[in-house]
Amino acid sequence: MVNPFQLEATPLFESDRVSGATLLEHTDIMHAHQVSLGFGGTTIMQDISVGFPRGTITALIGPSGSGKTTFLRSLNRMNDKVRDFWHHGQISLYDDEIYSPAMDPLVLRRRVGMVFQRPNPFPMSILDNIVSGVKAHRMAKHSDLRDIAETRLAEVGLWSHVADRLHDSPFRLSGGQQQMLCLARALAVEPEVLLLDEPTSSLDPRSTEAVEELVHRLTPGLTVIIVTHDLNQARRCSDNTIFFYEGRMIETAPTVELFTRPERAETARYIGGELEPTGGPERGSP
Amino acid sequence: MGRPVTDGRAVSTGKEVAGTGRSSRPPLPPGPGSATDYPSGAARRRSSPFVEFALKWGSGLLAVVPFAAVITMLVVLLDEAMPSIRYNGWHFLSSSVWTNGDTYRTIVHSGGVAHLFGAEFGAWPLIAGTLESSAIAILVGLPIAVGAAVMVVEKLPAKIATVIGICLEILAGIPSVVIGIWGALTFGPWIAREIYPTLTHLPNIPPFDIFRGSVGDGEGLLTSGLVLAAMIIPIIAATTRDLLRQVPETTKEGAEALGMTDAETFRRVQARWVRTGVIGAAILGLGRALGETIAVALICGGQSVVASNIYGVFNTIAATIVTSLDSAQTDPSGLAVRALAELALVLLLISLVANIFARVIIRRSAKGAVLPVGAGF
Repeated sequence: MVNPFQLEATPLFESDRVSGATLLEHTDIMHAHQVSLGFGGTTIMQDISVGFPRGTITALIGPSGSGKTTFLRSLNRMNDKVRDFWHHGQISLYDDEIYSPAMDPLVLRRRVGMVFQRPNPFPMSILDNIVSGVKAHRMAKHSDLRDIAETRLAEVGLWSHVADRLHDSPFRLSGGQQQMLCLARALAVEPEVLLLDEPTSSLDPRSTEAVEELVHRLTPGLTVIIVTHDLNQARRCSDNTIFFYEGRMIETAPTVELFTRPERAETARYIGGELEPTGGPERGSP
Repeated sequence: MGRPVTDGRAVSTGKEVAGTGRSSRPPLPPGPGSATDYPSGAARRRSSPFVEFALKWGSGLLAVVPFAAVITMLVVLLDEAMPSIRYNGWHFLSSSVWTNGDTYRTIVHSGGVAHLFGAEFGAWPLIAGTLESSAIAILVGLPIAVGAAVMVVEKLPAKIATVIGICLEILAGIPSVVIGIWGALTFGPWIAREIYPTLTHLPNIPPFDIFRGSVGDGEGLLTSGLVLAAMIIPIIAATTRDLLRQVPETTKEGAEALGMTDAETFRRVQARWVRTGVIGAAILGLGRALGETIAVALICGGQSVVASNIYGVFNTIAATIVTSLDSAQTDPSGLAVRALAELALVLLLISLVANIFARVIIRRSAKGAVLPVGAGF
């Protein structure tokens, strides 16, 4: 393999598997401790304490306005530039507090990647899109960029579609293909955690399935945290589920348990369809 | 009209949608605007055939107007200028002497063209002056305009941005004669006294020794170029600002989420998004600079010579036409007016070439990353 980071990554993942599933299940790659978030005088989330086990998929569910997206965006400091944003408590990546002065937000965002609701390709060729992050972080030699692009496009299953038009505009691709491109772009900088903010809310069912299948394939090499409005999606593709309601974390449990034997009454009502009769996406509409 | 309750329950428990992802959109309630407003089978009311005919052919005719205007202009100017073209030949473009000839002697004929004795029309200094002053205007104005637009959109608080926006519009609306008189009486003398002496220490740009020599009294090439820059900055800045505001927030966030700095985000997202549009705006500005008449006429010094250095007196095509039409009309042979028409023809051709050149650049830079419809050009 020409990609130098691939060489590094492969043995790491294998050793993880050798040391057994227990390690994966019990090491939190990210951890929130008594986190409260808000804008100005408004409190969005209160007193959230939760861990994200390494190599797992965690779904964040809850009605519109429950603060899931704000919480997700705090995990890689995407709220930093939002006016009047404030936070209390600690969020850590391994043992490093991500809001500490020692943490470079640019490095944090390389390690904790993010994919958004709507595909947002850059106004440059498909190839340049994939390697833009790699270039920004100077992660590879110029001559390796094409191979990196091919690896990542193949990883998301887009290579066969775009192999002969790498230098074309990404805006000619379908919505699903554009979102796959954005996933490939996020994966190209070798993140350890991938945050997905309703990544399929603007996609058709087939593309949705492809995204879910990809997310499954990426673990346990990658830790995924996904905000979703689609309870079926949470049920289908996550290991753990966290239920947020009115700015508080109501319940967190392995997905199967949470959906079959919810402990809290609010959880039961939400998964029973009573708390959110509208069922639409949080912002905008597909 | 509400959605049926059963549908809501089915959506949120999601039993029927397993494996299909987000298929939970409720059906549209029938309401105003939906197809059921019309009785089934009845014809939809159409606009009258006359309106449709007028729209189709009227808009077609109007679309031809710009094209016809350009062609007519070219043909009329060519016809007006023909005696001058026949009299001067290619000499018109290379000679530096411009004189109507001796009004006190009889009209002579050469090659079938009536002219005054000693008449000679050489536009070379005017062509050079037009191109030089416009080049200075673009070189100075474009970076300032784009920089100002970037500051306004990306850095400054909204209130200051609004104030600057208003100032830009006011600047764009100042009549050029006002700017011209300000440049000739106030700005030119001041900058020649305070700034130009410093510029003489700038290093040479071989092979031209452009910064050395006399700085003059403020009438000349550099002053004209700077004043032209002030006139095109509002055009370019306002366009660039509007284009930058169209860059989607989500795309910028995508770059940020990859760990790019603000500068990298700007280079990879905003700059590429607005690139073609800014080139277009620069060409609009260039068009204004090439054709600007009265302001340059007041500042250029009015000498039909190639400027000896960057401060030197010179003249442009447009300024020459406006200042010498009066005396040209006293030429009994009529050739002097024809020569001015040929000047106008040359200016028109320069503008056309600049536009075609811009289109080529835009097409080149748009290749590889065609923007979504409505973005950029």
